[in-house]
Amino acid sequence: MATQYSSSALVDNYLRKRKIPSTACSGCGLGINHKIVIQAIEELHLSVNDIVWGTSIGCAGRQTFATWQGDGFAGTHGRAYAIARGLRIALPRDKKIILTVGDGDAFGIGLLHLIHSARSNADMTVIVNDNLGYQSTGGQFGFTTPQGVKTDSSPYGMFEHNLMSEGMDVMHILKGAGATFLARHVCMDGAEAVESVKKAILNPGFSLVHMPYPCPTNFASRHLGSRNAVNIFNWMKERSAPLGKETPDTIWATGIYHDAVGSRSEFSDHIWSTVNKIRRTGAL
Amino acid sequence: MKRYLETGNFAITEGALLAGCRFFCGYPITPATELAEAMSKRLPQIGGVYLQAEDECAAMHLCIGASLGGMKAMTATSGPGYILYADPFGWAIGCEMPLVVLNSGRVGPVSGITGAPGQGEFYLTRYPTQGGNFESVVLAPNSAQECMLMVCEAFYLSERLRMPITVLADQLITDGMEDISVPENEAEMKEMGIRTYPRKHHAGPDFYPHTDALDIPPVQMGIGAGGLCSDWTPTPEGYDIEEVSDHHKHAYRLIYKVRNNRSLFNHHYEKKFMDDDPDLVVVSYGTPSRVVNTAVGKARSQGLKVGALRLINLWPFPDELFKRATTYLSVELNWDGELVREVQRAASKDSKVHFLGSCGDLPTIPDLLETFEKILKNQPLARKDWVLEVW
Repeated sequence: MATQYSSSALVDNYLRKRKIPSTACSGCGLGINHKIVIQAIEELHLSVNDIVWGTSIGCAGRQTFATWQGDGFAGTHGRAYAIARGLRIALPRDKKIILTVGDGDAFGIGLLHLIHSARSNADMTVIVNDNLGYQSTGGQFGFTTPQGVKTDSSPYGMFEHNLMSEGMDVMHILKGAGATFLARHVCMDGAEAVESVKKAILNPGFSLVHMPYPCPTNFASRHLGSRNAVNIFNWMKERSAPLGKETPDTIWATGIYHDAVGSRSEFSDHIWSTVNKIRRTGAL
Repeated sequence: MKRYLETGNFAITEGALLAGCRFFCGYPITPATELAEAMSKRLPQIGGVYLQAEDECAAMHLCIGASLGGMKAMTATSGPGYILYADPFGWAIGCEMPLVVLNSGRVGPVSGITGAPGQGEFYLTRYPTQGGNFESVVLAPNSAQECMLMVCEAFYLSERLRMPITVLADQLITDGMEDISVPENEAEMKEMGIRTYPRKHHAGPDFYPHTDALDIPPVQMGIGAGGLCSDWTPTPEGYDIEEVSDHHKHAYRLIYKVRNNRSLFNHHYEKKFMDDDPDLVVVSYGTPSRVVNTAVGKARSQGLKVGALRLINLWPFPDELFKRATTYLSVELNWDGELVREVQRAASKDSKVHFLGSCGDLPTIPDLLETFEKILKNQPLARKDWVLEVW
């Protein structure tokens, strides 16, 4: 039987009470994603001082910045991965970096930096909190917004080619770029999502967990015509299925996409061992 | 002291290493590429890290990350790359992260001529990011040797003021080869006037106190201080806040930690033939100042009462140097006139201000002498095509 976690105990151990409850909208799924990550940290017996927590902009950035009791930063739009790579070089190797970012931040404006973080296999865990578009700016479509969905900037239905349709998947790009751990879970996945996040945190390399979650305020009100959180949670649940059990309606196949833990040297290990060798011998 | 016949890029590299820089991240661009190449060779030899980023924006963010982790970091670029630093520059200003940025000016706008010097980024270095509500510090050397000293100085100021600082050079300085002396120990560094300042750790919990004080260590990640930093307006503890009154306090610190501590750097200018209240003061910075100094020397030998004022600390602008009512001539490596606007603003109301621009190549000594003479005789300056005789 899965362990039951009291939210208040997790808050006491890991979060800044001043930031809880967050300013997220009523019914928002972001808090569930956040709890999945904190639960994974708890189950790994990591302490506040073991982790540097980075965020960026949008709903995912603004609502999670400064919630972590320990060290934390928020980068500008899409740049947290580049900051994290520099930080990775400077931090003691046992410190872990967790980034909680949004879909626009990761797969739009920050995709180039994300790809290069994967290429270099920099040890960081990127949690992409995907609310299916640009919700903090009022509800425009993004690069993972499902086809046909009506948003403020797709009033006829989302018809652009994007990274989650026509056989394309941003996970393929990241795998090709060299990521060593990739998983996808909707926020309703619970314990399975926690397990994937744990594996991601333990991977000494670049990990990304894509975690779509519902936005009742903008996404649901435009596309489903209702802000009732139950509707959007059900709508997402019906469109998600474990990998291998997909149906024609499945948008989000969930589970571990790619596990190549230990297959490549980690960025900062590689850099520092190379630097030390050059320093010692004058050559490679 | 070791002597070299080397480029400005070499001198900048050696200066940065002396100042304690152990992280460099850049993106190749002429004429700053050789600096990245020199760093890629030298840094590993002394236990530092060189990285090449996917673009300029990433390069400076990587430096920010390294600085956030406690390392002294530097990046270098030219104008088309410096404009891409706008985003991380703002972050480093707002979060108060020490960093040194070298900009080697070339002919613009944008790509222009890659292998010719220009001074079209005077104002860009003052406002390298969006939004205002901050003060900038910019140093402008005019030789390879001075590049080395100024980069050390930039690291020193950057740590004490906890902010990114620009060293504005140009293509002739970074690519040109000159005699360079590099100190080999602390005594020699001291003899050359090199000041260093170590990275200090912040214990928190107030990371952004509302004060113009110097020497407040920057936020650092990974030391368990509970450090918070973001590009949002911070409370003293670093939480993001949407209150204008808090932003007022934030802006006060970003502006006045520089303005109220000008004694740290207001000695950075060079005066030549300025002791007898000259009738004409020629103002310049960077490479053109070398031609200007020679021309002013020749003018003096011809009996013309001309003085030279070379600015090294470009920002905050040294208004105090322009108190005396006289005639000023701003000599710049651009055709639109940038420094001249600040001279006009700072000069007392009874002063006259002229502009002589060139770009891509230096003004010649005969051209300068002719200009000095005409200004002193109140004659109109020769108009060369579309070049303005007076700004």
